[in-house]
Amino acid sequence: MSKDILVFIECKDGSIRKASFELLSKGKELTEKLSSILYAVVLGSDIKDLTEEVRPFTDKVLYMDVEVLKDYRWDTYTNALEYLIKKYNPYLVFGASTITGKDLFPRLAARLDAPAISDAVGIEIQDGEIKVKKPIYGGKIISWVTTQNTPLSIITFRPNSFSIEKRQSAGELVEEKIDLQVDARINIIKADKGESKKVDLQEADFIICGGRGMKGPENFSLLEDIAEVLGGRVGASRAVVDSKWRDYEDQVGKSGKTVSPKLYIGCGVSGALHHTMGMDTSKVIVAINKDPNALIFQYADYGIVDDLFNILPALKKGLESSKQEA
Amino acid sequence: MNILVFIKQVADTEARILIKSDNRSLEIENKFNLNFFDEFAVEEAIRLKAKVKDSKVTVCTYGGKKAIEALRTAIAMGADQAYLIDNTDLDTEDPLITAKILAGFAKKEGFDLILCGRQAIDDENGNIGVMVSEFLNIPHVSAITKLDVVDEKKITVENDVEGGKEIKEIILPALLTTQKGINEPRVPLITGVMKAMKANIPVVEPTSLGFAKDMIDKNASKIKVISYETPKGRPPVKIIEGETPDEKVKKLIQLLREEAKVL
Repeated sequence: MSKDILVFIECKDGSIRKASFELLSKGKELTEKLSSILYAVVLGSDIKDLTEEVRPFTDKVLYMDVEVLKDYRWDTYTNALEYLIKKYNPYLVFGASTITGKDLFPRLAARLDAPAISDAVGIEIQDGEIKVKKPIYGGKIISWVTTQNTPLSIITFRPNSFSIEKRQSAGELVEEKIDLQVDARINIIKADKGESKKVDLQEADFIICGGRGMKGPENFSLLEDIAEVLGGRVGASRAVVDSKWRDYEDQVGKSGKTVSPKLYIGCGVSGALHHTMGMDTSKVIVAINKDPNALIFQYADYGIVDDLFNILPALKKGLESSKQEA
Repeated sequence: MNILVFIKQVADTEARILIKSDNRSLEIENKFNLNFFDEFAVEEAIRLKAKVKDSKVTVCTYGGKKAIEALRTAIAMGADQAYLIDNTDLDTEDPLITAKILAGFAKKEGFDLILCGRQAIDDENGNIGVMVSEFLNIPHVSAITKLDVVDEKKITVENDVEGGKEIKEIILPALLTTQKGINEPRVPLITGVMKAMKANIPVVEPTSLGFAKDMIDKNASKIKVISYETPKGRPPVKIIEGETPDEKVKKLIQLLREEAKVL
């Protein structure tokens, strides 16, 4: 049985997503141990530059460079990946647990009759057997799962699960071509994709999150400023989104997005279970709240009990000068 | 329009969950609900029924006997008919198996449109809906936030895609998964609850859908749980003291740099 690993590379706004480099780094670590091959798959149109970026991380870059793959669609992407997986026969396929990943991989898994483990946060391989770590019940329980009765397994990982390590390999470029047709049953009539260069909430290394304690939508500029200093993103609690102070896409929590940044700062967030389930895998958690009994302090590494309207301006200044020193 | 809704009964967010001594099974406090994202699917189906003449809403789950409660919730909201496909003693880990069974039910029952939540909030997989569409060879759209009927054979939907939204036109039959924001699920009226209490909910054996037991039991599963563990808790919070906001912030930044090493 093959011990090769294939990583699907996701592109966004003409560049490769951070989550894909994380998967390549983990994939390389595993294939080095297994003495097997790491494949990276890049699909799109006019993607020569992107394939070059991937080369140092992998053994082989399989790419299809055609107009029909310019934008993600599950029909064309499933067909392309199905072809490549059947041709190169990996035993593991890795993808990112993003909006695209969640749309694509269940379809692909069903097509190939391969088990799918989604939203995982870690993987170990012992004597060829995989052990995949996956939080369930909103992170209340960690499950370790494996696959059986199958030559192929498909696993998607939460962004920020692995660190990025560039290797010195110069992956071989292999161009692949097949006839791809769009599914006539689906017609995209309008795409409204803001040209936002903002980092994706799930991929952000740094998230500053506002709760009801922010008092109103106008005060979120305080958080935007700090996010900008650190190159991160602003998140919001459910109460804030339900009050329409922020868009749903910013919502962190059980019914919103699950995030695990390096640093999460909660400002005026009470710490309802619903919210903490979406952020408690963050590496470091800071809570700023004037209520010393706020639940969020039970989940935090560091806490400041104070009025956030006093703290935030000071925090912005402090981070700015800290950044200049560094 | 013949509308099928696939739902799941899940543990309440607040339910206490304990790992049993074998480390391979869970004991869940007796607090269960209709899955959060499935409520949007049921609601959207009922609204569609009100808009499109001669429509019928059928709800179905692959679950244990207890899941009948969630089916009754859907009937109380306004669904016409519900079925339980009984998974007692069968595999519950491998989404391929669940999806094949639901697809088998859909084929037998017939449908124009299938709706389900974008993911269950217990296992957080989000595989079933899209897998069902592949097994039925119909198009799917994930995480829809708007649905409009063009005619008997065509709908338009708006859905979340990377970096924004798309509006798509879909030829039916199709499967759609629902995202928060599509509607506000109703709270059932007392008359609905009464109706749901009395409703006859047939129990379907998976074998009657053409699946031999050894195709869908634990040995057939391609996914196996090795063990469960509780996540490592964090050490107690360090509350940062200081006379002024500036002083507190200064200490915090120092800790984030030197102790936590995240800056």
